[in-house]
Amino acid sequence: MSHMSFQPRGAEVTADADYIVIGSGAGGAAAAVTLARAGAGVLIVEAGPWRDPEDYASSTYGALRDMMDDWGSTITMGRALWPVVQARLVGGTTVINSAICVRTPADIFEEWQQGHGVGAPAYAERIWAWQDMLESELCVAETGPEAMGRSNQLALKGDAAAGYDGHVIKRYAKGCVGSGQCLQGCRSMKKQSTNLNYVPETLMRGGSILSCAPVDKILFDGSKAIGVTGRFLHPQTRAKGAPFSARAKLGVIVAASATWSPVILRQSGLTHKAVGAGFRSHPGTGVFGVYDEPVDMNTGVTQGWASTRFRKDPGLKLETLSIPMEMAISRLAGGGRALMERIAGYRHIAMWVHALRARSVGRVDVGWTGRPVVRFGLDEADMRRFREGMWRVAQLHFAAGAREVIPGIVGLPYSLGPKEVDAIATGPLDPRNYVAILSHLFGGCTMGADPSRSVCDGDGRVHGRDRLWVADASLMPDNIGVNPQHTIMAMAMEVATGALRGGPCP
Amino acid sequence: MVPLIRSAMCDLLPAAGGLPGVHDTGITAFLTQLRRETTSLTWVGLCLGAVLYALTPVLTIGVPLPSFMLSPERRDRHANGITNTQIYLLRQAVVLLKMYACMCWGQDANVRRHFQIAPYPADPGTFRASS
Repeated sequence: MSHMSFQPRGAEVTADADYIVIGSGAGGAAAAVTLARAGAGVLIVEAGPWRDPEDYASSTYGALRDMMDDWGSTITMGRALWPVVQARLVGGTTVINSAICVRTPADIFEEWQQGHGVGAPAYAERIWAWQDMLESELCVAETGPEAMGRSNQLALKGDAAAGYDGHVIKRYAKGCVGSGQCLQGCRSMKKQSTNLNYVPETLMRGGSILSCAPVDKILFDGSKAIGVTGRFLHPQTRAKGAPFSARAKLGVIVAASATWSPVILRQSGLTHKAVGAGFRSHPGTGVFGVYDEPVDMNTGVTQGWASTRFRKDPGLKLETLSIPMEMAISRLAGGGRALMERIAGYRHIAMWVHALRARSVGRVDVGWTGRPVVRFGLDEADMRRFREGMWRVAQLHFAAGAREVIPGIVGLPYSLGPKEVDAIATGPLDPRNYVAILSHLFGGCTMGADPSRSVCDGDGRVHGRDRLWVADASLMPDNIGVNPQHTIMAMAMEVATGALRGGPCP
Repeated sequence: MVPLIRSAMCDLLPAAGGLPGVHDTGITAFLTQLRRETTSLTWVGLCLGAVLYALTPVLTIGVPLPSFMLSPERRDRHANGITNTQIYLLRQAVVLLKMYACMCWGQDANVRRHFQIAPYPADPGTFRASS
């Protein structure tokens, strides 16, 4: 067996390997390939189906149906109900993100060391070494001017005028052609999502994968993780299929995401209060700029420009983000003829966004359906910084020549001119007045030196358990203020390397 | 529930200014497909949104009639008013209706041609079998 997909109801499917890796996204695939390269037998167990680029949907409807976790219905449980963006297929969220590559900032490791006793200088050096390798292997490059599209070019122009110290984004993409389909999966096969590289390489090196195979729980022999069980789930009909059980000779690595990893640990009997705690994110939202000339933001790379100038203070990352037309128009306020009049101007709008390095902390619990419940909201201090982020994006639009901006804030006018833009900076502080999403997720199985406040040690090994590691964004004890994929992959490779050294938990 | 959902969606995205409305873009077939394919949670959310949409003209335009019994002019005022209501959960319920209406409308080939965007190829909905 190299790949087993959905199996209908029947006899239990069994498998065994040296290591089982739960999840095949940035963390899971990076961990799996690291193990496989060292000669270990690896079984990847992925909840979603394996879709190749020719299987990718093009429409937003199709992407929601085929790629998102439960049709994108996960939302935050807080004052505001904000969507949590996660994919569920082989390759995980790397299939539907913009493949943005940012090296882990040095100050992050210093904060982790001071606050959590992990991330020492030697660890940072090893992470950066993995990132050197990733950048080489996954063809990290700036998007070329021919693929930028007008929205990104306008951002570069605005940046030059506003002094935001921005840059053309580096991405895991080999010869991006600017088809504007990052969020539905790159049918051009330019984006280097893990279903195209590290997962196939793991199989080529003798590994196997179960897809459509959500893990219910991890099996233990005493404190030692020895395998996983679950039941196949059909990705279209959601019919339950055959049960499966897999045994791991040397260990289990959990890399099911910041929302699912805590759920799997909890359902496996890890009831420590730290499991699910420390959930953090980068909530973000967009501001539309309205330009005299057509922008046609559906053309060109989805995200081509960014600024990290405000990452430390007040904790913002600014980016361009072109979303499909049907999603963009649903962000325009109003209904009926008023909405149709606004939609008529679609070709003239560009959407740029900010992502806030929120200090607010939430938690992930297990809901009554067995799915994650994300309890998270922004406090007033975060809302002030969130609001500032929108104001800075609006200023950038005006610096680029926009005649007005559409902030999308309930309680403010539909559009604002340059002289009215400060209304954003003094806008409402109630998160319910904003439409935002959580696209970068952290914590839930955080690492730390203190077993009473963390789930894993600095090597990703679960405290008090043998042969059980976590290797995804849930490990991170704090958010990082930049796109996390590069950090997740490097940390997962480091965890896998530690697992190869083996040995029971001291 | 499909007629009630369709009614609300047609109010939210009517034909106007030379653009087709969602009524002209295969909304019935879209909703039939959505009902068949989506999760129970999403469908319940749409049904709830449609019921709330139908029952709330009294809150938005002060008329104690369900939305589908209103004149076109009043329906239009209700459609705009409810998306701007101060009642958060009501606004969110209608956001879901509007989002799926926009998906149906925005994937229509004629609409996309109007905005000089290439039509979407069919979504294959396929995945890799065991190998």
